[in-house]
Amino acid sequence: MLKTHLSDLFESRGAKMIEFVGWKMPLWFTSITEEHLAVRNKAGIFDVSHMGRMLIEGKDSTHFLNYVTTNNVEKLKQGRMHYSTICNQNGGIKDDVMLQRITEEKYVLITNASNREKIYNWLIQNSKGYEVKIEDVTFEVPMLAIQGPYAEKIMQKIVEIDLKKLTFWRLATCKIMGYETIISNSGYTGENGFEITVWRVPRSESENFIKIYMEILKAGEEYGLKECGLGARDTLRLEAGLVLYGNDIDEDTTPFEAKLDYAVKMDKGEFIGREALQRQLNEGLRKVRVGLKMLEKGIPRPHYEIWCENEKIGVVTSGTYSPLLNIGIAMGYVKPKYDEIGREVEIAIRERRVKAKMVEWPFYSKEEYGRGRKNVP
Amino acid sequence: MSHEHVVIKENVYYTKDHEWAKIENGNVRIGISDYAQKELRDIVYIELPQIGKKVKQFERLCSIESVKAVSDVYSPVSGEIVEVNRQLENSPELLNKDPYGDGWIAIIKAEKIEEEVKNLMDAEKYREYLKTLEKH
Repeated sequence: MLKTHLSDLFESRGAKMIEFVGWKMPLWFTSITEEHLAVRNKAGIFDVSHMGRMLIEGKDSTHFLNYVTTNNVEKLKQGRMHYSTICNQNGGIKDDVMLQRITEEKYVLITNASNREKIYNWLIQNSKGYEVKIEDVTFEVPMLAIQGPYAEKIMQKIVEIDLKKLTFWRLATCKIMGYETIISNSGYTGENGFEITVWRVPRSESENFIKIYMEILKAGEEYGLKECGLGARDTLRLEAGLVLYGNDIDEDTTPFEAKLDYAVKMDKGEFIGREALQRQLNEGLRKVRVGLKMLEKGIPRPHYEIWCENEKIGVVTSGTYSPLLNIGIAMGYVKPKYDEIGREVEIAIRERRVKAKMVEWPFYSKEEYGRGRKNVP
Repeated sequence: MSHEHVVIKENVYYTKDHEWAKIENGNVRIGISDYAQKELRDIVYIELPQIGKKVKQFERLCSIESVKAVSDVYSPVSGEIVEVNRQLENSPELLNKDPYGDGWIAIIKAEKIEEEVKNLMDAEKYREYLKTLEKH
C-alpha cells in the first residue's frame, strides 16, 4: 500500500485508517460529523498527498495542455489556476483536474489519485511532436489543504506573503521552513481555503514535512483547527455540489452531462474530444447531473434508483447524510426532460420509496456558509 | 482503533458481526457492541424492525445508517420481536453514546435460546475475537 509522508503519523495518532485507491489514508480522526462541522464553522486540515501531481514544462507546454484539456490554457495567466477536464475522443471524462500556471512555460497539473497513472500515460502518449517535459512528482511533492473560515488567519501565521491578496484561484510561491512551496486559494469543500505543495520532500526527509504539518496544527490551535480525514472530505465536497471522479463522472459521462460547461471552451480551437462534444451539443445530452435533497428520513447512496411517477428516471451517483443540514443529500443523473429545480421525485432506498426534491448546489445557504458567506469571522 | 478502549460488557453474548444479546427471563434484549458503534461512528438513522416479525438466528434484523455507510444488523437469536426501542428513532446517537444501555435495539421472544447460545461468544471469547481482528 502506498503511504503519504503523514500516513504513519496519522496511524500513531489513532486515526481510523483505510485503503483508498491504493493509498493508506485517514477516514476520520474523531468523527466525520465533527470534522465536517469544524471546516464549515472554523477550519480543518487535510493531507491530500494521494492526489497526482505532474510538472509540465517546455516551450510547447501551453499548446500541449490546450490540446489535452478542455479549458482554455492560453487564457490562464501566470499565478492563476483553473478547473478543467481531460476527455477521451468520445468526449467522455478521463479525469477532472486543476491546472496551475506557475510561469510562462511551467505548469502543475493536479489529478485524482485514482487516475494518476492513467493520465500520466495519456499525456505521454499525446505529447508526440510537442516540446514538453512531463514529470510525475507525486511522491516527493506532498500536499496539504487548509479549509474553512479561519483558514486565512491560520495560514497568515505561517507564510510571509499577504494572503488577503491571494484571492480565489490565485497562487503564489513562498518559503515554509526552508522549503519552496506553492500556495493557492482553492479547495474541495466550498469554503475559503488554501492548498499547498511542498517542493521537494523525498521520503528520507519525511520528518521535515511532519514538522511543517505540526507547525500549521499549532498555529491553528487558537482557531479550532481540526485534522480531517477522507470521510469529511467526501461529505464536504458533496454538500458543495462538487463532483467525485469514479462516482459522479467517468469516461461514459461528458462534461456537459455533468454540468461542468465552464470547464469546456469550444471556441478555443482543436482539443481531444472536441468533435464528439460538438456532436453532443447538436444532438442533445443523454443524461444530466442533478442535486437531490431528501424530504423524508433516509440516506441516499450510490446506485439507488431515482423514480418519478412510476418511471425510473435515473440513478444516484453520490449520497450521504449532510452533517450541516441533518438530512440526506445526493447527486445523480436523470433523463434531461426531468431536470427541473423543485421537482419531487422518489429514491428507492432498499424496500422503501423515499421522497426527495431536485435542488441546486451548493446544498447549504450561500449567505451563511462557503467562500461567499456574508459573515466572515 | 488500537488507541481507543473498546468496552466489552460482561454477562452478555456476542456475535461475529458485533451484536450483543442479553438473556432477561426468557426474552433476549439485543443491540450492537461498543466495537461496532466505534467502527460505524456518526450513526444518524436506524430503520427499526417490525414488532411481531419473526427472525432466524443471524438473519438480517434491521439496518443502521452512519454518515459513511449503511450497515445491516443481524439477529443473535431466533424468535419473535416483541419490543423495539422507539427512542432511537429520534435519538439514533444513543447507539453511539450508550450501546449496551439506552442504545438497545429490540427485545426478542427467543425460541431455542439454550441451543443457539452455543453459536454465540461470551465476553471472554469476544475479547479474544476482537484481538484477531486488530491484527489485520
